[in-house]
Amino acid sequence: MHLTRRGFTTALAGTIAAPAVLRSAYAQGATVKIGMVMPMTGAAAESGSFAQTGAKIALEQVNKAGGVLGKPLELVYEDDQTTNPGAVLAFSKLASQSDIVAFLGSIRSTQMHAMAPDMLKAGKPVGFGGTDPNLTKLGNPWLFRFRPNDSYSGRVIAQYGAKELGKKKWAIVHSTDAFGTAGAKALEEALPDNGSTLALKQGYANQSQDFTPVVLAVRQSGADILGTYFTFETDLGIFARQLRQLGVNIPWVGSPSIVNVSALKLAGPALYNTFGVADYAEDSSDASKAFGKAYRDIRKVAPDNQSSWTYDAVTCLAMAMNKAGSTDPNKVREAMLAIRGHKGAEGEYNFDKNGDGLHGYNIVKNEKGEIKFDKRIDFPPNLG
Amino acid sequence: MDLVLQLLFTGIGIGSVYALVALGFVLIFRATNVVNFAQGEFSMVAAFLMVVFSVKIGLPYWVAFIIALICMAGLGAVFNLAVYYPLRHRTYLPVIISTIGASIFIANTTLAIHGPEPEVLSGWFDTPGFMLGPVYFDNQYVLIIVVTALLVALQYWFFEHTLLGKKLQATSQDKEMAALLGIPVAVMIMITFVYSAVIGGIAGILVAPVLFVSIGMGATIALKAFAATIIGGFGEVTGAIIGGLALGVIETFGAAYISVPYKDGFAFLVLIAFLIFRPQGIFGERVAEKA
Repeated sequence: MHLTRRGFTTALAGTIAAPAVLRSAYAQGATVKIGMVMPMTGAAAESGSFAQTGAKIALEQVNKAGGVLGKPLELVYEDDQTTNPGAVLAFSKLASQSDIVAFLGSIRSTQMHAMAPDMLKAGKPVGFGGTDPNLTKLGNPWLFRFRPNDSYSGRVIAQYGAKELGKKKWAIVHSTDAFGTAGAKALEEALPDNGSTLALKQGYANQSQDFTPVVLAVRQSGADILGTYFTFETDLGIFARQLRQLGVNIPWVGSPSIVNVSALKLAGPALYNTFGVADYAEDSSDASKAFGKAYRDIRKVAPDNQSSWTYDAVTCLAMAMNKAGSTDPNKVREAMLAIRGHKGAEGEYNFDKNGDGLHGYNIVKNEKGEIKFDKRIDFPPNLG
Repeated sequence: MDLVLQLLFTGIGIGSVYALVALGFVLIFRATNVVNFAQGEFSMVAAFLMVVFSVKIGLPYWVAFIIALICMAGLGAVFNLAVYYPLRHRTYLPVIISTIGASIFIANTTLAIHGPEPEVLSGWFDTPGFMLGPVYFDNQYVLIIVVTALLVALQYWFFEHTLLGKKLQATSQDKEMAALLGIPVAVMIMITFVYSAVIGGIAGILVAPVLFVSIGMGATIALKAFAATIIGGFGEVTGAIIGGLALGVIETFGAAYISVPYKDGFAFLVLIAFLIFRPQGIFGERVAEKA
């Protein structure tokens, strides 16, 4: 065979272009893909598998109902190794696949901050679960949050204490890390609106071995209700036990860690009759119950917020693509922002212009170690 | 006054924990002239072993306690052979780095085998504590204080009044001289590692009901215990005890009357002050370069 220069050039060009052509042909074809960044290794590997189960349940339901734009939906996973550099690497691997039309980010705010610049460059919708309020104020139009942000937890705790428990003199105990400080500040700011006052605001450093001085300060402050933001379950467990031992029995409303499985195991009876805010509570709505049942059928244990947000995110992204009639990022974004009154596992979704979908929390009560749904408090979203 | 008494009890309780772990530091330092940075991990491993034997397998508490301590003795022996012995003729620096490496290895191996979730270990007593006047006494802290006192007495008797103790002392003072006198130096060092792993283990099992059992439990306590040994004077048993108790009381009162978030800061402020103004510690003698 005689190889001409033109023939060679054409063949070369064809070879170079082939993967891209094939990939775009594939994108037109078989499935619609959502890329998911999740921890498969590292400290949060276990919770990563919960997140995956949540997403898979949504995937099956979407595909059963006809898929997205007539094609089956598919999830592509990348391991974030439970670290920020791992998350950045995982996201860039996914972003390099042009047939992926949307993404699921992380439940950890710090990882979301690390990936956010690349997400802006990728220019496709990302559903995520990190609760730092700043994440939806970065001017990044592609971020959509599937859990209530932390500014709501403070308002919910303050309102519940004042209106439901009738207590208005608060002691706030919080971790001095970013999460605890921001949460305590939000709670403090919400007190005046509920006719409440602050008797004590006490920070502590994570991994404290002893809380006697904190407990004695709470006891002496004359507060009639306690609000807490604990980061680590071991700290919460030690504090709870010492609180009871030193005879402090005022009502206590805590951030989500107070109803966390590990905290319940460590503190045991010391946490009985406390209240907590929780973004997922199985008995809070029919949609939450239905998700709880589907999850139990697969994992044999109750779900928590690790899986409920991925379930809602996959459902909403598929819904938005179907509504937009396209996988074009801008059209999907418009459709996401137009979601109103969608009843998900975490609550009712109404996306505001920042990309926050949820605007309230559930209050749950610890009844002898069982977590019982008590009330849901929602705030009107700013949809303007 | 009630407040002061309550804080004093808590301070002494937590200080005893530091003192107990500090004992392990001092023993190894006296025998080998190096600091064993894996001492905290000994406590953590023992607490996890206790959870396995007592909670998961369901053995009686004291049986589980003895088996856990036997395992700790084994760990101490393996630690000596793997971490110290190959480097025994080098300067102190490679050995210290080797113990840091071992500490990371032990923590991560426990993480890989057990997973990250913390565990609960019940205490020796069925009731959590009692009120005496206005002060609440946590039973487990009372036990820790008593055991620390007993171990210190035992240690004093052992080192000062037994032949083995004197051999150990001789080894720590001058290995070459001890060898010339027919003392088997390698065996003495082996005994020291085994004993301090057991002491670290006792500390871990005693604090577990108060602080819970977690991968990170050893590291935090060991850091404070290390500070306690420096304050007391490295290599001094009495110093480690006084240093530990002082540290516990200082940080508890500092937290109560000055600032809670800076609680750990007080401990290390005291440490820095000692390093500057009295580096040999309360009981240590000024070390001069030998001619």
